[in-house]
Amino acid sequence: MSKPPIISITNLKKHFKVYKKKPGLWGSIQSLWHREYEVVKAVDGISFDIAEGEIVGFIGMNGAGKTTTLKMLSGLLYPTEGQPSVLGYNPWERKASFQKQFALVMGQKNQLWWDLPAVETFYLNKAIYEIPDEQFEKTLKKLVKLLDVEDIIRIQVRKLSLGQRMKCELIAALLHNPKVLFLDEPTIGLDVVMQKTLRDFIKAYNKEFGATIILTSHYMDDVKELCERAIIIDHGKKIFDGKLQDIIDKYARNKKLSLVFSEPVTKKDLQAFGDLKEFSDDGSHYTATLLVARKKATAVAAQVLSKFPVVDVTIEEPPIEAIIREVFSKEGS
Amino acid sequence: MKTTTIKKYWALLTISWENGLVYRMSVFMWRLRRFLAAVMALTIWSTIYTSAAPEATTFGYAQSDMISYIFLISILQSLVLATALNGLAQDVYSGAISNQLLKPLSLTVYLIMQDLADKLKNASALLFEIIALFLIFKPVVHLPDLPTLGIFIVWTLAAIVLNFCISLLFGSLGFWSPETWAPRFLFYTLLQFTAGQLFPLDVLPTIFQKVMYATPFPYLSFVQTQLFLQKLTLSEIQLHSMVLLGWVAVLAFLAQGIWKRGLRDYDAAGR
Repeated sequence: MSKPPIISITNLKKHFKVYKKKPGLWGSIQSLWHREYEVVKAVDGISFDIAEGEIVGFIGMNGAGKTTTLKMLSGLLYPTEGQPSVLGYNPWERKASFQKQFALVMGQKNQLWWDLPAVETFYLNKAIYEIPDEQFEKTLKKLVKLLDVEDIIRIQVRKLSLGQRMKCELIAALLHNPKVLFLDEPTIGLDVVMQKTLRDFIKAYNKEFGATIILTSHYMDDVKELCERAIIIDHGKKIFDGKLQDIIDKYARNKKLSLVFSEPVTKKDLQAFGDLKEFSDDGSHYTATLLVARKKATAVAAQVLSKFPVVDVTIEEPPIEAIIREVFSKEGS
Repeated sequence: MKTTTIKKYWALLTISWENGLVYRMSVFMWRLRRFLAAVMALTIWSTIYTSAAPEATTFGYAQSDMISYIFLISILQSLVLATALNGLAQDVYSGAISNQLLKPLSLTVYLIMQDLADKLKNASALLFEIIALFLIFKPVVHLPDLPTLGIFIVWTLAAIVLNFCISLLFGSLGFWSPETWAPRFLFYTLLQFTAGQLFPLDVLPTIFQKVMYATPFPYLSFVQTQLFLQKLTLSEIQLHSMVLLGWVAVLAFLAQGIWKRGLRDYDAAGR
């Protein structure tokens, strides 16, 4: 039997009325007595259920409605229509018992007190979330060790690097061991090493606490590594909800054949087998990359192996970024 | 109230206080500004009276009364009007209040703690300023009788609450507009004139006084000073008590309603 949903939303909508200013000085003068407004449908009828312990990737372009949805799930925004349910609560009611069980982490904003060391915020959160002394000490010790920030938690937050700050943000958000975690671009602006550290940490947290996590990210590596399931939204509407592998199966038309030859080959001969994306012949190394239809990939690889002096061949899925681009271009057309 | 709840708000109060003391120069300059404003007002009135005969009165105030008045009102305004909520509208508009809305705490109590921390910071500096002003101007301040002193304390606390409600109302502008500077500026200009910082309001023509008493401004420190200097009759004390508490009730109700509506329209910008 499948687990009951811990997050459930049905036909969730959030519409904003925005002022549309005419360009130029005359437009500004006109706006003094007449203003035109338009309704922006940031979220337009999204529905989904998420079970306990799932990590779900929330994918969409800028302005697709990802953050707005997370804000509604956190109780920051009042939905125009539809009622989300998180842990059985209506988030908008902002009940303390609900707020003690979730956390929202925004990559570009911070909850840490800017002019004070991060440890001060940790102690404040201890009081706010009414965390027992023993649990607090234990969790803090563990998180500090996991994220390797022992040396920096007593330094003013404004003097920390983005990566150090992000680690401290995560600690501040996790001290009360939330059951539900909303992560909005948690790795934005971080270098690849730091991104990997945070991803490993999120994975470990999910495993240890069985936390339910919704993650939005522009870095597909985050989604690929952490999420089995992805929800894609575009212009406030859900356009895909399923396993990441299903996106690949549904939208990836080609596979990538990377070939290394022992002797020179001609471009013309290779082009007969597929779309030649890369070709290199520097007199000693001969490589090529072919895009071939997914269904024919194995057969084409076999033919290439028999016809050319191949010393190495790999068959790969195209990068997930390219597949997502494909999804959006299909939905847009 | 549960111990954990008290601990929660105590932690908020102490961290806000700590945060307010990070930039020492800023704290010092702010206090210096308030101190110089008091020194200027006291100097002007001392100079005006110097040229007059010792028993002469100006606008019905003898020199000692006037100096006491300016002295008292400077102290009161330092306590009542200094607020940490000047940037509240900006915090609302920029989405900075989301941090508090996400946590299991009351936003109102959080703002009260911020304001209280600011007042504690100001009050501790004020102690030294009072000593300095006393030494420079030697005002003759007669303490009122105990019941009057009691009412004075209640009125001062009510004025602090009144100013808090006004700050909340200005803060709520951030839900709908980024431009909160103009109304605030207008408010402070009016306040400087109508709260009696530069001169006692009873020196003004009756018609002006009547208009002013129809606003909450004189209740932010002027009536308190009048009470302390024992210039009010019993019926005036009763009337001002009712009006002051009335203003507190009306503005608190209004602020609560507007914030409830504002939070529905809140778009948590930038977060």
